[in-house]
Amino acid sequence: MIEVRGLCKSFGALHAVSDLEFTAPEGRITSIIGPNGAGKSTLFNLIAGTLAPDAGRIVLGGRDVTGLPAYELARLGLARSFQITNLFFGLSALENVRLAAQAHEARRRFFSRLERLAAPAERARAVLAEFGIAELAGEPVANLSHGDQRRLEIAVCMASRPRVLLLDEPTQGMSPAETLAIDQLIKSLTGRVTVLMVEHDVDLVMSISDQVIVMHQGQKLFAGPPDQARNSSAVRGAYLGADHAAA
Amino acid sequence: MPTAPLTRTVPWAAVTRRGVLGWIGPGLLVLALLFPAAAGAFYLRLAIEALLLGAIALSVDILLGFAGLLSLGQAMYFGLAAYLTALCYLHLTQSFWLVAAIVIAAVALVAVLLGAVAIRAKGVYFALITFGAAEIAGKVVHNTRALGGSDGLIGIPVPSIGLPGFALPLRNDLVFYYVVLVAVTLAFIGVRRLLATPFGSVLSAIRDNAIRVPYLGYNPFWYKLVAYLIAAEVAALGGLFYPLLRGFVGPDLFGFDISTQSVVMALVGGIGTLIGPLVGGVVVTLLQSVLGSYTERHLFVLGLVFILFVRFLPGGLFGLLRRDEPP
Repeated sequence: MIEVRGLCKSFGALHAVSDLEFTAPEGRITSIIGPNGAGKSTLFNLIAGTLAPDAGRIVLGGRDVTGLPAYELARLGLARSFQITNLFFGLSALENVRLAAQAHEARRRFFSRLERLAAPAERARAVLAEFGIAELAGEPVANLSHGDQRRLEIAVCMASRPRVLLLDEPTQGMSPAETLAIDQLIKSLTGRVTVLMVEHDVDLVMSISDQVIVMHQGQKLFAGPPDQARNSSAVRGAYLGADHAAA
Repeated sequence: MPTAPLTRTVPWAAVTRRGVLGWIGPGLLVLALLFPAAAGAFYLRLAIEALLLGAIALSVDILLGFAGLLSLGQAMYFGLAAYLTALCYLHLTQSFWLVAAIVIAAVALVAVLLGAVAIRAKGVYFALITFGAAEIAGKVVHNTRALGGSDGLIGIPVPSIGLPGFALPLRNDLVFYYVVLVAVTLAFIGVRRLLATPFGSVLSAIRDNAIRVPYLGYNPFWYKLVAYLIAAEVAALGGLFYPLLRGFVGPDLFGFDISTQSVVMALVGGIGTLIGPLVGGVVVTLLQSVLGSYTERHLFVLGLVFILFVRFLPGGLFGLLRRDEPP
């Protein structure tokens, strides 16, 4: 599980994230929603080690990981996907997943012969099969469809057997049918990994999340189960304006 | 430089894959072993030079073909090794092994110090730092009287390599040729082995998309630094023998001409293939030598060769043979 305590980050006069607190419970799906500029991406970058916070703490599985670099966090079991597909486009789908598995399965065997290191390759094939893209193993990622690339992005994350998975708009740019499939896929991760997800598709969020956190202007507006979020007047206010909140 | 074709090539898979490429290496080695039987003294010495310059091209390929770093200053390690070698034989010792140990240690020290700074820079800035460092080194040598200034160091004695029970006199061109051939071949095999590993696969990932790599749990800094160190030692291998071929060293050994020529050699042979740059070394050295006897403007021709390859054959000679599939 992951805990955020009093987290603050400012860019000049802009308080992108201010005094944010929440806990993403073990093995559950926690979604962060909020209008554009609410600070969701900054929050993700703080948790994943891309940015360092001005104040506050991030606790991963009981350990204070505030300010650790991204590669340390990854070794501690944090995996993240990216809003804009971020893969090794010149390498094959299999090699993308294999590299992630290798970091976990063969960390201290830098100079072993690759063909003798079976574990990462086996793990990679198993993950590709689980994500339904086994037949694309040999394809360069650049040749994959957008939907398959988004799928691979999550597969790469899961290959390292993470404890916490950060998904940054996993269905960005996908068709409704593809979105539904990714939906099911993320739901199937429940119990195996703690998921923290930023998502614009509110229907998706409401249908698969165990907890919804609503952010507005860098602050937490609401945290609770999805059905309560739907009915919260504060949430409506943030999304639709103050008039609707009063109604 | 067009980045697109160069980044779409296949790094570590090319060094592990058996098949056509797997047979070309041994085939070329047999040709190289038989070469002295057909060649006269001039071409034998030219072949030694080609192999030594090919080592710099190989070092360029480790950085450019695997880590995606374009160095325009690999001649610095060639020059550094050459001057150290010359100084040692002139003033310190005639033991080849002691000199080799000194050169390896000194180059490692410089490579780690400079590398730790240079690899933090990206793209063209890395190229500029390596270029600048080599130019500074060349100028310092040029202006240091104790190092012979612009005249360089002359009259370097040629040693024999002591082995248990016998010695290999490098004064004999045939012996010299085979020693250099063995040294460069061993360096090539060692580098190929080193890159057909998780280490090499992470370098390929860095080349493809460096920003993504830390999120997999790898710290790119160490991978790039080790690659930079290995590349520096490979370039230094050329410098360890070069003064013995020529009998003198000069500040131009650090120069931009040698650095860029080695990039052209790597490109002509095929970036990311390891063996290509060695072949490119032979092709370009031969071309320079033949053209040099007709015209003083052989650098112009080198530039033309570079442009033609970048435009029409960015994968180099070995890029033609390689099937374009990703690892």
